[in-house]
Amino acid sequence: MTAPALARRVVVSAPVVAVAGALALTTLVMLVVGVDPTLAYPALIRGAVADGNLEYTVAAFVPTLGMALAFALPLRAGEFNLGGDGQLAAGGVAAAALALLVPLPPVVAVVLPLVAGALAGGLVAAVAAPLSTRLKIPAIVSTLLISTPAVALASYLVRFPLAEAGTGIAQTPTLPDAAHLPFLGGSGYVTIGLPLIVVLTGLWLYADGRTVTGYEIRATGQNREFARYGGVRVDRVAAVALAGGGAFAGLSGALIVLGPPYRFVDGALTAPGYTFTAVAAVLLASARPVVVPLTVALLTVLQVGGQGMEREAGVPSQLTQIVQGLIIVIVAVLATLQARRRR
Amino acid sequence: MYAAELVEVTKRFGPVLANDGIDLAVARGEVHAVVGENGAGKSTLMSILYGLHRPDAGEIRRDGRTVALRSPADAIRHGLGMVHQRFRLFPGLTVAENVVIGAEPVRAGRIDRAAAARKVAALSERYGLRADPSALVGGLPVGVRQRVEILRALYREAEILILDEPTAVLTPGETDRLFEVLRTVAATGVSILLVTHKLSEVMAIGDRVTVLRQGRVTGRFTTAETNADELVNAMIGRSLAPSAPKRARPVREDPVLEVRDLTIHDADGVARLSEVSLSVHPGEIVGLAGVAGSGQRELIDSVTGLRGAVPGVFLAGTPVLAGRDPRVAYVPEDRHGRATAPGMSVAENILMGAQRELSSRWTLPTAAVKRRARDLVDRFAISAASVDVPISALSGGNAQKAVLARELTRPSRVVVAEEPTQGVDVGVRERVHALLLAARDDGAAVLLQSSELSELRDLADRILVLYEGRVVAEFPGDATETDIGRAMTGATA
Ligand SMILES: Nc1ncnc2c1ncn2[C@@H]1O[C@H](COP(=O)(O)OP(=O)(O)O)[C@@H](O)[C@H]1O
Ligand SMILES: [Mg+2]
Repeated sequence: MTAPALARRVVVSAPVVAVAGALALTTLVMLVVGVDPTLAYPALIRGAVADGNLEYTVAAFVPTLGMALAFALPLRAGEFNLGGDGQLAAGGVAAAALALLVPLPPVVAVVLPLVAGALAGGLVAAVAAPLSTRLKIPAIVSTLLISTPAVALASYLVRFPLAEAGTGIAQTPTLPDAAHLPFLGGSGYVTIGLPLIVVLTGLWLYADGRTVTGYEIRATGQNREFARYGGVRVDRVAAVALAGGGAFAGLSGALIVLGPPYRFVDGALTAPGYTFTAVAAVLLASARPVVVPLTVALLTVLQVGGQGMEREAGVPSQLTQIVQGLIIVIVAVLATLQARRRR
Repeated sequence: MYAAELVEVTKRFGPVLANDGIDLAVARGEVHAVVGENGAGKSTLMSILYGLHRPDAGEIRRDGRTVALRSPADAIRHGLGMVHQRFRLFPGLTVAENVVIGAEPVRAGRIDRAAAARKVAALSERYGLRADPSALVGGLPVGVRQRVEILRALYREAEILILDEPTAVLTPGETDRLFEVLRTVAATGVSILLVTHKLSEVMAIGDRVTVLRQGRVTGRFTTAETNADELVNAMIGRSLAPSAPKRARPVREDPVLEVRDLTIHDADGVARLSEVSLSVHPGEIVGLAGVAGSGQRELIDSVTGLRGAVPGVFLAGTPVLAGRDPRVAYVPEDRHGRATAPGMSVAENILMGAQRELSSRWTLPTAAVKRRARDLVDRFAISAASVDVPISALSGGNAQKAVLARELTRPSRVVVAEEPTQGVDVGVRERVHALLLAARDDGAAVLLQSSELSELRDLADRILVLYEGRVVAEFPGDATETDIGRAMTGATA
């Protein structure tokens, strides 16, 4: 491919069109409601990267990327995991409980809760697998169904058995020092969760393209009957993919809880909307796994910057959620158009 | 003046020149056959005429006037109708609703269902296209669904009817009925463009024939003045080799595939197979005949392990393994259903089933996987731009060769082939037959299911006939089609 042809392909590719379209529509909305875009956008960028905000953006990037993997991995097998919130909360509460209730030596005190979080998230997601393979309830529904009770259960545990005594606030006590994730360099926000999730993303990309399991997951997602015919145990592959996705979500929950403020604050895991942002990022990457970290970075900047925009330009940060929603709609429309053109 | 003309039409798909300066003219009331091997460019040309693709160069004329067809809606407005290779019907709607959809008769702002049913009934009467207007399309056999597609085009007053491989999905009886209908339709002045690669059909119904090869016209004939040999020459650029002689070699070895008293019930408790017994020995091809739905699916799924662990099926003396028994090479009938994953590359499609043997532990040796795929692409003469393109970019015949390449290179002594030449052209068919015969000569036990009796007679040493889940007859490979056909209908000899 020549360089101009490559450039053209990038410029008209679905992600670029979706982001550009969403920004254009958002600008239109700003103009209609009387916000000056020339103030709002710089405020957004500053809110994301300037004045030490970059650190905060990077810290938000970690769970968003984790949640993106939680959605992307099962999607490779053709399963939609929309239950990220439940898996995230389960992972967070499992990690908090272990750190609070079991005295552990240094290092182990960090590693074990992370593992427990991943296991809990994986377990919650895995419940959806037999529902879809045996009872034929699609994962897109069953994961969502299981999510709400899982969030509620975590909330109950935090409010009662694990609650900080005497404060009346719905949160656990601060976790013991040994369970605190070490900071990266001199940062006050970014923990070793960042390199951890980056390495795991790399491993996932490698597994997807270069391993037998990755191949069987992709074959199952592309044509389940083909995979079954080829001897792949498709039900198990789908279950593994869902559980794997859930494990990423659970790990994300654990990373949040083991980072500042080092406790499970009820609602703090699900309120920022990591799950939705992650789904948007993965759809935006339109079936190209390598692009996922980039789209996650982009949407995290939008998300965090949106709060800066609210502070400085008085634009409600909900506007960034509108952008995300528009991106999903545009990606879906483009995909449909493309499928139609291919006929 | 011609009813429709394609003038110097050229169409590229990336590096593929699908149509290269094609001229084609159809007269009013004519049945014009378009033939050519898979990948010759027939479907592309028809899609251009129906407004589904825009040509890169060339033009389209209707009744001598140049027209621009930007979409099927444009084409319909210009009196074109198309019956696609894959039907585009709504299974949950009735025949009449499917026919009128998009152009419903309206009364007082509402769809006039009675008028719709009346019109559809009148149309089917007029053209002998029998179909109950109030029947739900979802429950109809393929042949009737196709009639609904034709009715839909005629309802929109198509003056040119395009049919892309309409007989690929039909039984011989349904094909005859379709041809009667097409003759009736043509007699009313409608021009018919019939895409096919079966020469017998061209000779049976075509007035004139245009032959395509590699995107170009390689012959124009009047059916009455040509013969099958001449057409084959134009299609593949050479004559066909005489079919391989069958051997009457006595089979002494023990059977590698044995089915004993196999009975299978479906979810509703209805018997799909009843006490079926058969054996296939090394070095023989056993043919499986029967009308569709006589138990072929259940039998083949049992033999390959896809039905799970089924009692009574033995491979080399041991029970079949549940899932997919790796000892069986299996060429499934539907390339889009089981045999391929359209979105995966040629190399990844060829890999399926061998991924674990090729890998040391977890890692897939990508270079070795591609090398092996390239090797098979060469050995089986598959034409593909590279092994990295999605298999959906290959023509049907080449995709089928890729499936055979994958299956026949498995280390297995049992080969199950299901309609192995459905929807492929004569050149590929010849090649597929040669491969199956070669597998047999190498000592494989081959179970061949086909709805084409001539194929079974060409290849099989013995032919078993399934009827309502039972083996009702066994014939030697050279039995007459009449005898086999009679057994297929359940008539006892
Ligand atoms: N939508 C498409 N995109 C890319 N290549 C295509 C497309 N449609 C057809 N081709 C290619 O064009 C050639 C002609 O295909 P087609 O018209 O389907 O042949 P036929 O109908 O005669 O079998 C083949 O090589 C095929 O792979
Ligand atoms: Mg075709």
